[in-house]
Amino acid sequence: MKYDLFFKLAKEAGIQEAELYINESRSLSVSLFHGEVDNYSDNNGYTILARGIVNGKLGAASCDVWDKEKAAYLVKEIANNGKVIENEDPVIIFGGSPKYKKINTFNKELGNVSIDEKLAKLHELEEKIKAYDERIVEVAGVEYIESSEKVTILNTKGLKLSQQTNYFVYLGQAVARQGDQTKSGYDYLLANDFAKADVAKLAAKIGKETVDQLGGEACESAKYTAILSPDVVKSLVGVLVSHVDAEEVQKQSSLFIGKLDQKVLSSKITIEDKPLNKNVFARWFDDEGVATFNKPIFKNGVLKTYLYNLTTAAKDGVESTGNGYRQGAKMGVSSNFLVVKPGKKSLEELYQSVGNGVLITDVSGLHAGLNPQSGNFSLQSTGYLIKDGKRDRPLDIITISGNLLEVFNNILEVGGDETVFPEGVSTPSLVIKKLAVSGK
Amino acid sequence: MLSKKLAIEVLNAALETGADYAEIFYEDSHSSSLTIENGKVETCNSNSMCGVGLRLLKENQCVYGYTNNLSKKGLLALANSLNKSFHDQRLITVTDLQMIRCKNRNPVVHSFDEVPLEEKIALVREGVEEIYSLKDPRIVRTIGGFGANHRFVAVFNSKGKWFKRDSEFGRLFYTVIVADQNGFESTFEGPGCQGNIDYFRTKVKAREVARKAAETAFKMLTAKECPSGVMPVVIGNGWGGVLFHESCGHPLESSAVAKGLSCFSNNKIGDFIASPIVSAVDDSTIPGEWGSIDIDDEGNLGSKRLLIKNGKLNDYMIDDFNGRRMGREGNGACRRQNYRFCPTSRMSNTYICNGKSTPEEIIAATKLGLYAVSFNGGSVDPTTGEFNFGCSEAYIIRDGKIAEPVKGATLIGKGFEILKHIDMIANDLALAQGMCGAASGSIRTNVGQPTLRISQITVGGRGGELK
Repeated sequence: MKYDLFFKLAKEAGIQEAELYINESRSLSVSLFHGEVDNYSDNNGYTILARGIVNGKLGAASCDVWDKEKAAYLVKEIANNGKVIENEDPVIIFGGSPKYKKINTFNKELGNVSIDEKLAKLHELEEKIKAYDERIVEVAGVEYIESSEKVTILNTKGLKLSQQTNYFVYLGQAVARQGDQTKSGYDYLLANDFAKADVAKLAAKIGKETVDQLGGEACESAKYTAILSPDVVKSLVGVLVSHVDAEEVQKQSSLFIGKLDQKVLSSKITIEDKPLNKNVFARWFDDEGVATFNKPIFKNGVLKTYLYNLTTAAKDGVESTGNGYRQGAKMGVSSNFLVVKPGKKSLEELYQSVGNGVLITDVSGLHAGLNPQSGNFSLQSTGYLIKDGKRDRPLDIITISGNLLEVFNNILEVGGDETVFPEGVSTPSLVIKKLAVSGK
Repeated sequence: MLSKKLAIEVLNAALETGADYAEIFYEDSHSSSLTIENGKVETCNSNSMCGVGLRLLKENQCVYGYTNNLSKKGLLALANSLNKSFHDQRLITVTDLQMIRCKNRNPVVHSFDEVPLEEKIALVREGVEEIYSLKDPRIVRTIGGFGANHRFVAVFNSKGKWFKRDSEFGRLFYTVIVADQNGFESTFEGPGCQGNIDYFRTKVKAREVARKAAETAFKMLTAKECPSGVMPVVIGNGWGGVLFHESCGHPLESSAVAKGLSCFSNNKIGDFIASPIVSAVDDSTIPGEWGSIDIDDEGNLGSKRLLIKNGKLNDYMIDDFNGRRMGREGNGACRRQNYRFCPTSRMSNTYICNGKSTPEEIIAATKLGLYAVSFNGGSVDPTTGEFNFGCSEAYIIRDGKIAEPVKGATLIGKGFEILKHIDMIANDLALAQGMCGAASGSIRTNVGQPTLRISQITVGGRGGELK
């Protein structure tokens, strides 16, 4: 077999256990500008991440070409790198879970759709964004991206797992102008069933999001009752859940140390990790080969579990939760598909319950404005005033600031407008009390 | 590496259907990284990356693909797949490839490859020990690390040119996480350089870098929340250059300008876009600097671009492809993270030039405002010019003196407005090393500026009104 040489060389070099994690990908993307194809790309990628146990320590190396030389390179580097490791955490190459619940995340049909059909929808998207409103002065770009990926894990414990996934994305960006003010808006749709791609709906969404922002000015700096759109909640919830990573807890840098089975968030919120879902994010084994399963992380505000990979689980004397995911060379811990359990109210009903406040539709600069450790944030935002139970004028040049724990404890209502994001999050809007907004 | 003969064959296959330009980007790079966490070596990794990116241009269309199959069959298959985008007669046949020669301003002086792993570990450990020598119980976690990257690139194009570039980068970094009863704070320091381990032996002291990270973390832990509102802000030198990088650098890249999508697209060369005391530069020719390149990814030589001259728009960062829409040739700004990215116009070492004030004069001239010393980074929408950046170290200025530290400040605004509000610039220009992410991936760039003052900018924070 193609990879036998690696395992043979590893054995000869005294590497007790070894593993290969192989990622084969193909991606296609086409973008239009002014009705013409301006970028087209077709890529075949291949990455091999190798690791092995040397005298009880884990060595790692990776490459993206496979031949005899690279197999020898990986073995040599694993041996050299393993020798200097001092960390005493348990190291585990996994033999497999008793049972796996396989899920099909590959749609063969997508490959049968002609490039002309894919392009036709892209032209339609560009034309319909432009035609949406005369204030849309430019369609900055529309793009079709198709991606397929196959992940394979092979190891000396006899593990052999493989999962193939494919999906496509249509995205567009519009620019609208009114007087001296320029605003841009961006949105996308992601799926793997081509027949369900409604680009007309996407175009209308992008058009509306863009022109609606025109004519805004900052609001008074104050604390407001605020609706956070799914887009905003998605960004915040990802960082919140990073604090249930067992490694963060064990290394004393989590906000949830010693809080298991305690109420840490508003009782209105339930957040689940659902790797076994029916969309393109589904994963039936994690990057260590452990079978995944659905579980609540926060149930009605109570912390139900930390997320574990094999090493952190062994340290705490528990089972892995199937959340071992690669973070570059390191086997880290991560959620797979986060679901914030939706409520029942529509956005209009939420406006009515807020009465007077703000709607925050987007936040920017998370890597700079959100301190992942403390949970404090101060973020450039866009949104609207809510006046007398209705959405009012747009807001320009504002920031929202607060702390993640405060926000998720100050929830007044959970909306019914759940939206799925490519980051692997599904969430509705949340209504928050007393959010600090700075403007004028 | 690819032979010239095979490169010519692949280029000609790519050009068969009427492309007016074809280019092979071959990359063979090796990188290594290690981290020491809470005093013990935790990770040590090696990576080898080898692949080819093929780019075809025809008028305003760009076609790109990459492969790890470096056999003749693999490369010709890529060329024959990509050339299906065009349907015309061949315009160009490549018969020979001449080497482009350029100055080597960034030589590998003392290669990181030759430094034993043990020495790199010892280097990182010096800083870790410095943090522990503080014996402060508020230290929760320390992560120190060193990463090195040796990158060999060869480019062959249908203009009958080829060149190779061999470069090395190293970066030492420390993250310190501290906590008290009120919560956590974390800080990051990460100096880097090209091809010379001596930089970390003589110029940059691991102990000082680590101590700085720890001290800033302690300061921010006890700091009050930053007030919010519109106020005068003095921005520190070095990392303060993130302001210009985000608010003005990205909108002056031809990838935004060429399609009329930049907030500066309506401006012409010579228009006032900044206060007359502002001049700004993107210079990829500074020897050995983090963002320097001798030759860019399409064979144009590195250059010094005076972007703003005394407040007037003077130049852009341009690559050949986007230059087509602007009627301009590329000026050495075409870059990419690696062969998996189609290249485009990017910054290198970008900074605002020295002014005439001193940092002390600027602070003394500010009655009530914010002194933003250092930053975590930021982002911009080049179309609207709306930017944000988050402060990692900041103080209130009261009656011309630096007063209490504050945390959680975010500065926001529109680049074209903020540049006009710069009213004092000092003479203490410094550069700082960072990574910049955009369409062609994550690349090394320097930001930089002297201490300067913005007369009014919106500050977001949780501390209420500035009093």
